[in-house]
Amino acid sequence: MTLYGILFYLISAVVIAATAVAITRQNMVHAVVYLIVSFFGTAMLFYLFGAPLLAALEVIIYAGAIMVLFLFVVMMIRAPSAGESAFAPIQWVPAAFFCLVYLVAAVLMAFRSPGMNEPLKMLSASPRQFALYVFEYHWFSIEVVSMLLLLAVIGALNLGAGRKAGVDEERSYRDKTPQSVED
Amino acid sequence: MIAPFRDILLLAATLFALGAFCAVVRRNLIMIVLGIEIMLNAAAIVFVGASLHLNNLDGQTFVLFILAVAATEVSVGLAIIVYAFRRTGSFDPRHFNLLR
Amino acid sequence: MVGSPAHPVDLAALIAATMLPFASFLAILVVTRGRPRLSAWLSIGSVTITLACSIALLALHSGLTTPIGFSADLIGSSGLNIPFGFLLDRLNLLMIVVVSTICFLVQVYSLGYMAGDPGFSRYYAFMSLFTWAMMSLAVSANLLQLYFFWELVGLSSYLLIGFWYEKFSATQAGKKAFVMTRAGDAAFFIGILLLFIHTGDLGIVNLDSRAALAGVPPSFITLSALLIFGGIVGKSAQFPLLTWLPDAMEGPTPVSALLHSATMVAAGVYLFARLFPFFSMSAVAMSVFLAIGTISMLLASTMAMVSRDIKKVWAFSTISQLGFMIMALGAGSYFAGVFHLTTHAGFKALLFLCSGVFIHRFETNDVYELSRLGAKRMLIPMVTMVLGAAALSGLPPLSGYFSKEAVMGSLAGLPNPVWLGAGLAGVFLTAYYSFRLIFILLFPRETAVTIPVGTPSPPPQAAGIPAGAPGAWAMAVPLIVLATITVVLGFFETPLKNFIGAGMLAGGSVGGEALSWTPLAALALALAGVGLAWVEFGRKGARQIGFVDRIPILHRLFAERWYIDRFYGLLVNLVIDRGISRLCYLNDRKVIDGGIDGLCEGAVESGRVMAVLQTGMVQYRLLAIFAVLALLALYFYY
Repeated sequence: MTLYGILFYLISAVVIAATAVAITRQNMVHAVVYLIVSFFGTAMLFYLFGAPLLAALEVIIYAGAIMVLFLFVVMMIRAPSAGESAFAPIQWVPAAFFCLVYLVAAVLMAFRSPGMNEPLKMLSASPRQFALYVFEYHWFSIEVVSMLLLLAVIGALNLGAGRKAGVDEERSYRDKTPQSVED
Repeated sequence: MIAPFRDILLLAATLFALGAFCAVVRRNLIMIVLGIEIMLNAAAIVFVGASLHLNNLDGQTFVLFILAVAATEVSVGLAIIVYAFRRTGSFDPRHFNLLR
Repeated sequence: MVGSPAHPVDLAALIAATMLPFASFLAILVVTRGRPRLSAWLSIGSVTITLACSIALLALHSGLTTPIGFSADLIGSSGLNIPFGFLLDRLNLLMIVVVSTICFLVQVYSLGYMAGDPGFSRYYAFMSLFTWAMMSLAVSANLLQLYFFWELVGLSSYLLIGFWYEKFSATQAGKKAFVMTRAGDAAFFIGILLLFIHTGDLGIVNLDSRAALAGVPPSFITLSALLIFGGIVGKSAQFPLLTWLPDAMEGPTPVSALLHSATMVAAGVYLFARLFPFFSMSAVAMSVFLAIGTISMLLASTMAMVSRDIKKVWAFSTISQLGFMIMALGAGSYFAGVFHLTTHAGFKALLFLCSGVFIHRFETNDVYELSRLGAKRMLIPMVTMVLGAAALSGLPPLSGYFSKEAVMGSLAGLPNPVWLGAGLAGVFLTAYYSFRLIFILLFPRETAVTIPVGTPSPPPQAAGIPAGAPGAWAMAVPLIVLATITVVLGFFETPLKNFIGAGMLAGGSVGGEALSWTPLAALALALAGVGLAWVEFGRKGARQIGFVDRIPILHRLFAERWYIDRFYGLLVNLVIDRGISRLCYLNDRKVIDGGIDGLCEGAVESGRVMAVLQTGMVQYRLLAIFAVLALLALYFYY
């Protein structure tokens, strides 16, 4: 096992551990911070796999933009910290069962398929190569994705702006809803 | 020499399972979206690993798109969640059962 | 398509003759419904052009030898070709002239009769529809097309019988007519299909040539001939479907004159003549037709003897005269049937229009009542009515005499004397019932009158149609024209005979060899009928009670129309209402409704069960998605 191999397993362990901790946090701020750790680890994995540009993007977008957005939302709303009840068995037992099934399937598949066993060679696609490749072969998809982002901006703006219109209406609605809650 | 592709797959599968578990189990809308992010991330890892494994840049390109879609989804999704929170004052998905 | 191609002029005339009424029908319904006078003139204008075109066609082709044909494919599909076109030969040249003449006169007459009716425009629209359908029926080149217009004619008949739809009896009568003719038409259609399956060509020329049917087994020809005759029975109100026609008198009187005596009911006879060579290929079928014609003729005559309703008398007489035509055709005499059709169209339309004048004036249908109110003082209708009745009875020198003589001649040519005897009895009865009516009208007896239930009628006024009455001329002129036709037409027997006889498509004898004594016997019996009517109704001191009235059983039998309607009522009640309908009802209730109820309840119940599962919680859905994905992963890889 080379140094890179050791690095891979180390980072993998960190990523999995960080994620596992993140999803069990009651406090959402903690959860988001753990996830940022996880995404940093993922970025390092990307770098390891020869995708430096993607590693940078992962840090900038995931760890930087998305997670900070989460953080903002969590902090802005100041959700009731004790609001979330403990894990309900009706949800987590079947979920755990199917996760297990899924993992078993994945393991079986990974071990049965041929050609999975050789360690990967180190290769690297420089940002320049990658950009040339993307804009040579996938320029149209890039355009589509840019359109999608534009729509997301419009949608988010619309959702944010629509709040002002009927505050009272929403209030009255909110007063009514808790009665319909049931377990 | 790094690690075999198999191990990358196993890592991604584990992450994906964790993300799915989070999305299904946590009674909190924000955590559900977080779980989805984790799943997307797991998929991205498989793509990058496969790109190296197959010596093909298409996998990396796809991750680019995943990043874009994730950003979109999070921005709109969080906007919806904030909106919903303002309507009902709760993050609990059980409160959003009007379609029942 | 056999036949020489059409000259453009003919084509134009024919299209004008057939399509203009349709155009006016549409125009009236769509545009001018709110303007009755304009509608009427639109309709009359179109029918005038139709008449002119028909007469022009007849004049142009008086020496026609081979039929003129024109056709285009209406439906073309692999192995199935249905041409749509027209066929002109001597028979339908005559027919279109008859139809357009009567249509024209009746529409003019209706100007007076229907004046002020709220449905004036609608009436003329339906009249135009009928004219179109009937003209197109007459020139149809193939059986399917003919059937199409046959049904359209039936539709316009239904619409016109039920014209006064506020009257319950009128709508009932319309329904009855529609359903009963439909029963016949169903058989007709099956016959057409059978023919189509076996010959593959429904062209009339084709069906009428012996060569085309050479390969078809005779029993099959008999079967399809009988089935097609079913349509004729329905349309021409022959036994056993004869009871709709008297009820059809609920419609306006001009409608009765046009549809239910002169033209539409004659369409059945026309079809018979049209397919005469085809029918005459089956001897069995021909004798069945002869028998049916005879039975309906005699039955209807007896019914006419006791009826007090002036229109019903003429309705029964129409049935019996149609029976005469069928008899003549069934006896193998093409000419006699067609000739009688032509003359009958004239004098029966005349009789109805005369009755229409009385009914319009006195607002009652009862003969005794009309007589009491002074019908005989209306000069023009009374004189023309006597003329018509005389023609109906077959008195010389009116047209009816000649045609009836031709019919008797054809019957006399048959080996079995029963038919001739029945025919002569029919002549006697015809004369008796028509002059019974005339004498009742002419010699009112206050004593014999039992005031019928109904609205009190206005007291009798000055003689004749009041000069100032609106539309009086419109009603009088057609009467005079028709009376003239009735008087004159008989003398054209020989030219008509040459025209029709030579124009026949193929096969069939022109007419039976007349025995020398039959015309005399017929005349004598007709006179005897008139005489008996005179003795019982006409002479001074006669009590105006017919010999039938003195035999209560017979009277009841005739007045109840031989219980045919009762029988149908019973049949419908027992078989259809209690039997089939009940079964259907039970099936509907228990099987179909029950099944659907079960399904619905099942759906509701399962919905309830599902509703328990459906909590509206997004995470359960996510879980389900995840579970399915996991299981799919298992399924695909192992």
